[in-house]
Parts: sequence; C-alpha cells; structure tokens
Amino acid sequence: MRGLRRGVAALAAGMAYVAGWNYLACAVFITFDILGRSFLGISSAATVEVTGYMLAGGIAWALAHTLARRAHIRVDVWVNRLPLRLRAVLHLLSLLLLGVFAAFCAWAAWSLVDESILFDAHDNSALRVPLVLPQGIWAFGIFAFCAMILVLMLDGVLALLAGRPEELDRLLGSRSIDDEAAEALEAVEMARHP
Amino acid sequence: MIAVVLMLVLLGFALFAAVSGGQAMPLAEILALTGAFLVFFGAGVYVAAVLGLLGVLIGLTFSDRPWWAFAGQTLWGPSSNFVLVAVPLFLLMGEILLRAGLSDRLYRALNVWLNRLPGGLLHTNIVSCAVFSAISGSSVATAATMGSVALPYFNNSAYSQRMVLGSLAAGGALGNLIPPGITFIIYGLITETSVGALYIAALLPSILVTGLFILVITIHGLRHPLPKPERLPLALKLRALVDLVPTLLLMLLVLGSIYAGYATPTEAAALGVIGAAVFAAIEGKLSLRLLNASAEATARNTALLGLIIFGAYLLNYLLTTINVPQTLAAFIGGLPLPPWAIMAAILALYLALGTFMEGFSMIITTVPVIFPVVQALGYDPIWFGVMVTMLVEIAQISPPDGTVMYVLQGMRPRPGPITDVFAGVMPFLGAYLLAVVLMMIWPDIALWLPRVMG
Amino acid sequence: PASLPAGPKVTVVAVTQPLPTQPQYTRVDIPVLREAVGQRSGGRIEVQLSTHAERNLSGTELVRLVRSGQTDIGAATLTTLSGDVPILDMVDLAGLAPDIGTAKRIAEAMLPVVNRDLERFGARLMVIYPFPAQVVFCRAPFASLADLRGRKVRTFGNSLVDFFTALGAQPVSIGFPEVYSALERGVVDCAITGTGSGVAARWPEVTTHVSNLPVSWALAGYMVNIAWWNRLDPQVRAFLEGALREVSEKQWELGAAATRDGLDCAIGKADACRIHSLATRPMTEVPATAADSAALREILEKTVLPGFVRRCGARCGEVYNQVIAPISGIRFGG
Ligand code: NA
Ligand code: NA
Repeated sequence: MRGLRRGVAALAAGMAYVAGWNYLACAVFITFDILGRSFLGISSAATVEVTGYMLAGGIAWALAHTLARRAHIRVDVWVNRLPLRLRAVLHLLSLLLLGVFAAFCAWAAWSLVDESILFDAHDNSALRVPLVLPQGIWAFGIFAFCAMILVLMLDGVLALLAGRPEELDRLLGSRSIDDEAAEALEAVEMARHP
Repeated sequence: MIAVVLMLVLLGFALFAAVSGGQAMPLAEILALTGAFLVFFGAGVYVAAVLGLLGVLIGLTFSDRPWWAFAGQTLWGPSSNFVLVAVPLFLLMGEILLRAGLSDRLYRALNVWLNRLPGGLLHTNIVSCAVFSAISGSSVATAATMGSVALPYFNNSAYSQRMVLGSLAAGGALGNLIPPGITFIIYGLITETSVGALYIAALLPSILVTGLFILVITIHGLRHPLPKPERLPLALKLRALVDLVPTLLLMLLVLGSIYAGYATPTEAAALGVIGAAVFAAIEGKLSLRLLNASAEATARNTALLGLIIFGAYLLNYLLTTINVPQTLAAFIGGLPLPPWAIMAAILALYLALGTFMEGFSMIITTVPVIFPVVQALGYDPIWFGVMVTMLVEIAQISPPDGTVMYVLQGMRPRPGPITDVFAGVMPFLGAYLLAVVLMMIWPDIALWLPRVMG
Repeated sequence: PASLPAGPKVTVVAVTQPLPTQPQYTRVDIPVLREAVGQRSGGRIEVQLSTHAERNLSGTELVRLVRSGQTDIGAATLTTLSGDVPILDMVDLAGLAPDIGTAKRIAEAMLPVVNRDLERFGARLMVIYPFPAQVVFCRAPFASLADLRGRKVRTFGNSLVDFFTALGAQPVSIGFPEVYSALERGVVDCAITGTGSGVAARWPEVTTHVSNLPVSWALAGYMVNIAWWNRLDPQVRAFLEGALREVSEKQWELGAAATRDGLDCAIGKADACRIHSLATRPMTEVPATAADSAALREILEKTVLPGFVRRCGARCGEVYNQVIAPISGIRFGG
C-alpha cells in the first residue's frame, strides 16, 4: 500500500515539474511574441489562447502533487487543537469531501471534452487548435488528482483501522509552520551556496 | 469568528432575498445550507471543496436547470483565462530572484544608507520590501523573499522582535499595492478597468502607506533609542548602490515595458521572469537545480490557487443562475442611506471578510457582485480598485488569520509565540487603516495622478 | 402579438448581448423581450433576462449554454461561435457585405442553411441581427486601408486575421480587457470593433482616426433550445415567435442607426449623437475610398474565402456558391 502511495506521489511530482517548466516555457513564448511584434513585425496571433491553455494544463497537472505535499488550503485552526484520534477522523472526512468535489470536477471536465469531440470544436485563433487537445490534457490532470485522493484515502483508512492515527495525521495533516520555514530557508541557502 | 458569522448572515440574507420574490421563504433549506457550511469549516475541510460543494448544494436545492451539464465550461473558462497567466509568472520571478540571491544584495545595499536613522534596520525592512514590491506582484512572495533575507540580520540584536516581525509583515503587505500587482490585474479583468490606470492610481497611495510605516518606525526609534552603527565613508555608501542596479533594471523592464507600449500588464510579468533568469545567469547562479526548484514551487502555489478558483467559480455560477448577485446588488443599492454610508458598509464588509478569507478568492467571489453597486453609487472604478487592493493587503496582516503573518512566523530563527507577530503588526495595521480613511475623505489621493497623466 | 389567452405561467430564461449597457440590450431586449412580452401576455410569460457579463460568460460557449438547457434563449455574435459550428462564420466574412442591406439579405438567405448544422446540436437560430459596422480605429492618421501596412492591429476571429494579414498589417492577439490600455500605450496601433462599441469602450480617448468602411457587421443571432421550444404550449410558442420577429425588426433598425450614430459620437457631432455617448476627444473620420472598397472585395475573393473554406470544408464552399454568391457577386473558386 505504501509502495503504491509512493509510486503515485512520484508520478504526481513528475507531472508537477512538467507544469512548472511549462510556466517557464510560457514566459519564453510571451517574451518572443513581445520581441517579435515590437522589432520584427511578427506575432503568433494566438498568444492569448495558447498561454491560456498552458495555464489550464499547469494548474491541473500540479493538483495531485500539491495534495501530496499537503499544500492545499484548509481552515484548520480549530481541527489542530483536537485530540489525535478525532483529528484523524476529521482528516479523512475532509479528504472524502475533497474527493467528492474532485470527482465532480473530473466528470465535468470529461463531459466538456466529450462535447468538444461532438462539435469537433476549434478555437478562434490563427492556429485553430482543436479544443480536445488542451481540454484533454487539462482533464487528465484532474483525473490524476482524483487518483491521488483515492490512494491517500485507502492508505488513511488502513492506517486508522490498524490503530495508527498518528501516521494518518502525518499523511493528511496540514503543513506545519516548520515545513514552510524549512522551505524558505532552503531557498535562501541555495542563494548563498549554489 | 465574528467575520464567519457575518458572512453566514449575509449569505443567508442573500438567499432569502433571491428566493423570496413574494413566495414563502425556504427557511429550512437556508438553515440547512448554513449548517453545512459551518460544519465544513469547523471540520477543517479544504477551502476549494467547501466553496464547490456549497455551489453543488445550492444548485440541487434552488435551481430547476440541469446546471451540472455546464460545469465543465464553468471550470475551463477561468482555468484557461490568459489574464490569470500573470499569477504563475510573478510567482516564478520571485522564486528565481530569491534563489539567485538578488534579494539579499538589495537588502544589504539599502541597509548601508538607512541604518543610522532612528529605528535603524527596521527602516531597511520597509524600504527593501517596497522596492521589491515594485518588481513583484504578490504580497506573500514579497514577505517570504524579504523576510528570509532580513531575519538573519536581527539574530542576537537589541531590536524588539515584535517590531522586526511587524515591520516585515507590513512591508510584505505592500507587495500588491505597489505596482505591479496581481490584485489589480484580477480586478481589471473582472471590471474591465485599465490595469495601467490602476497602477498609476496606486502610486500616491502606496507612497502614503510607506510613509506612514516609516513614521511609525521613527516614532518607535525615538522612544526606544539604540546605539547607532559607525558612520560609513561616502565612497563605500556609493559603491553599495551598485547592488541596487539589478533590481532597478528589473523594475524598469517590468513597468517600463508597459508604459513604453511594448507589453500589456499581463505580458510584462513574462519579461520579469526572463529578466530575473538573466540576472541569475550574470550572478553565475543560473542552474538546472535553481530552475527546477523554482518551477516546482511555482507549480505548487499556482495549483493551490487554481483549485480554489475551481470552487469559487462553481459557486459563483450557481449563485448567478439563481440571481443572487443581481438581487443583492439591487438591495444594497436601494438601501435608504447616503452613498458614503453604503460605501463605508461595503468597506467594512471587506475588512471583516478579509480577516479569514484568502484575498484572491475574496476578490473573485465578491467584486462581480459589489462592483455594479459601486458604479450605481457614482464612485470611480479606479478609486475602488485601489481601495479593494488596500483592504486585501490589510486582510493579510490582520489577526487572527493572515497568510503574510503565518509565512513570517514560520521563518523566525528564534522560536516564540505568534502573538509576537500579532502585537508587532498592530501599529502598522493602524497606519494602513488610517490610509484607507484618508482615501475615503480625499479620493484624489488615488485619482489625481491618473487625471494629470491622462 | 397583441395578447395571449390565460393559462399556466411560463418562465423563460434568456441570456443576450455581451454587456448590460449596450443599446441592443437597453433599447430592444429589455423593452420587447422583458417588458412588452410580460405586459401583452398579461403576466403569463415572465422573461428572466441577463447578459454575458452578468453570467460570467465569454460568448464562445453560448451554443453549449443553450443546448444544455441552462438558458432557453441565448444570443451571441456568430463568428465567436464558429469554433463550435464553423459554418456560422460564413454569414459574416470580412468584406462580404459592403452595406447593411446586403448583410440583411445574406442573413435571411443563410438562416435555414445554418440551422441544418445547428439543429444537430439541439439549438435553433431564430433571428440573425447586426451590431454596428465593424470599423478600424487607429492611434495615428491613415488615409486608406493601404496605409495600415506594417501596423499592429488587434483582431479577433479567423476571417479578420486573414483580412489584415492580406493587407500587410500585423494581426495581434490581445484579450479584450487589455485593448484599451494596449491602444493607449501603443502596444497595438489599431483595433477593429463596432462603431458604437468602440465609443462605448471609450476608445476615442486613446485613438485619433476612425474609418467609416464597414469591414464586417458582427452579425449575431438569437438561438432557442429545441427541446424546450417544441415542448411549449403552441399558443405560447406562436406568441414568442411574434416577439422574436419584433426583436429582429428593431435590431436591424438599430443596427443601421447605430452605425452612423457611433461614428458621429466618435467625431464629436453632438447634434447627431443620440444613441451612444459623445466622445470627449473628437476623432477624425477617414472616409472610405473606391480603392478601399475594391481592395476589400479582392481580399475577400483571394484570401478570406479560400481561408474560410479550408477551415470549414469543401461543402462550405459549395453552400457559399449556392446561397451567398448570387447576393455578394463573388464566387468561391472563380
Ligand atoms: Na507589487
Ligand atoms: Na486576515
């Protein structure tokens, strides 16, 4: 079970790196477009559409990894003061509700792709991108997010049944302030010793 | 907690107003919804799921349309909106600058000039945050970047820890107000206002706020004097200015490209990323490892916002289908009060919401509803945009819940209770609120410059 | 329609026009669809009317909105819908209709033709109507279309991109909210939109010259959800059909009046500016020359039409030659 979780998390991390580099590519693309139209008289005439798709893909593909890193925002001031066992149950409840929401989003995303197939829809840009492509990539990210939730949920239920609520808390509890601090300090460290 | 109750009352009232068009009031449904909302928040449910599932519940309860058949489009629209592309780009720029050590050089250079004022290093905190804000469009990025750079300088110093944390939090809260800023871009998108004009309008208010912060520190410095560091030779001080050059060039690149007509405000963020990478390369720090770490952090923070946008837009779509915003706007606009009183009520509402809501989702969910009212009252959209941005910034440094404060608390080298941050930020919070009141009395603080330049 | 016999109440949801301030909304939709329908039906029919902006829509998704039953009646510009239903682009190609009379004849001839495609998706177009003529606004002087060579022009939609490329201008893709500041700062040199829409978006503040040559008409249409339409009580259906006919007449009248009115408001002619609001900084009107009209026709034949057929398929070329060529006088493929 733990192996499965690690596997899915690694896959999710890979997708998140793709999403992050996609933003870098996006910056390069926009910069070329600015330089092109200002100095060379050329423009992609599709910047608005293409960068929009890159954002959509970027958001969707990093959702699962963000969950694995426990970075999705929760209102948890109150929960964190509860006794461990109750807290573990509430973590699972939160994850279940997130799962319901994510499943709805995934279903909605799939219906959108399906509708675009029906219409054989293209965008109105000069490139006439078939909408199935960006929407399909986007929907795939949301499906991966659902898979991540499912795996975490299975792992959490097993931990609870085995009487190890502290493991569940580690798995699902929100990032402690220490996590945030460690990350910021790591970044500063990188600046000083590259 | 007061804010939560307030919001629930408002939501219940909105539903009531929308549904009771002469018909019986569906009290049971409204109570059930309110209850579900309370349980959601109490149980620590993910914010996006709360918003989205609330939308689903409203749809199931009040709509007679197959609203789910349009949910895909509702989620896809904002996900692929090119104006929002600026958000990851600003985040990416901040991550690269931080890891390339450019922020550290900025801090040291300013420090050489400011450390002999009464209040010393605390002034450096504010000014370096303000300067960094002029290239970055995000408050959390500003606080995280300058906070991690500044805090080590205060190790074993005689400075009041509270003032150190307070000044950094306050400085971070300039991130969105000083152009460029994501809040302005989002506001411009929703209300079809010129982002360029918003940036110009924000200039004097941000100088006002920064000035008030410096005043707070000077007063503190005079009342708690510390030994001044040695006076440095002028040549050394001038040489320190060289370290400011990269930051100033980036500022010129981002804002200059907008005003010189090379790029739109959204596109300028992309130039900022490339510029930051170029400076990292000049520093000899541009590596695959740096870019990889920056990319991962950007992807994570964008996904976190993206999921909230999913929830917020789904809720927004369903509220709109059952005419809640329109009804609410008509109701507020029709209150038998003078316009300034209604405006004061709107601002108070934002202040209350801001204590517990994330600024970004606060704007997306409320501005489409409030904006028509503001226009009907005869207030200038540009002025209101600056006001909303200031209130979002205040939200981030108002206890008990504020992202900027949490980020700083997390980075303290010496542990201590979060109440240190709360106490430290109070005088600055007061100064920020004073600026809001001044803006309310003299709207020209924001409107004069756009008028003169237009 | 004068009246409607009593019967069960019918609530109709309609989403029309991009912005609530547009005259197409305030002068036609509100008085006819909302008010007159309510009164003449004796309160039996209630139309809940809203705009794209109020529903947070971009306009491209209107066919999907109507077919999914979110709204019973939906209106949108046809070219923005052409990503989903390509043949809709044919009605309003750049250079197709030099005057509004021609535009109307083309619209009437095409209505049954496009419905053959649209009805497969569960929506039916009831009315095609115009916005004010789409004209070029620039921030620097120009005397003819030829002067646009080398300038950056903000465009939208395939046929306009083809058109400006053929002129030697450089089409630029910028989102609508940023066009005002893009013109202000010179990110783009020119932009195309309806005469009245340009005035409403305060473009005279940031541009100096406006052409009076209609490049296209931003033809738009009211669609209904077919399942809903067929389910209606026949008397109610006939009543609504009448109302939509009246909407059609009024929109065409408004289109003609608003085209000239938008120009007059832009150039600061206070006495002729009645529908839109008067520009604070009057612009210069650039009259269309015979050479301009000839260039427009030539680009249509050589670039715009072939480009459209490439996107839409060979069948669209045949339909064009059958239905539109007799009106426009230009055949596809010579
Ligand atoms: Na900023
Ligand atoms: Na707060």
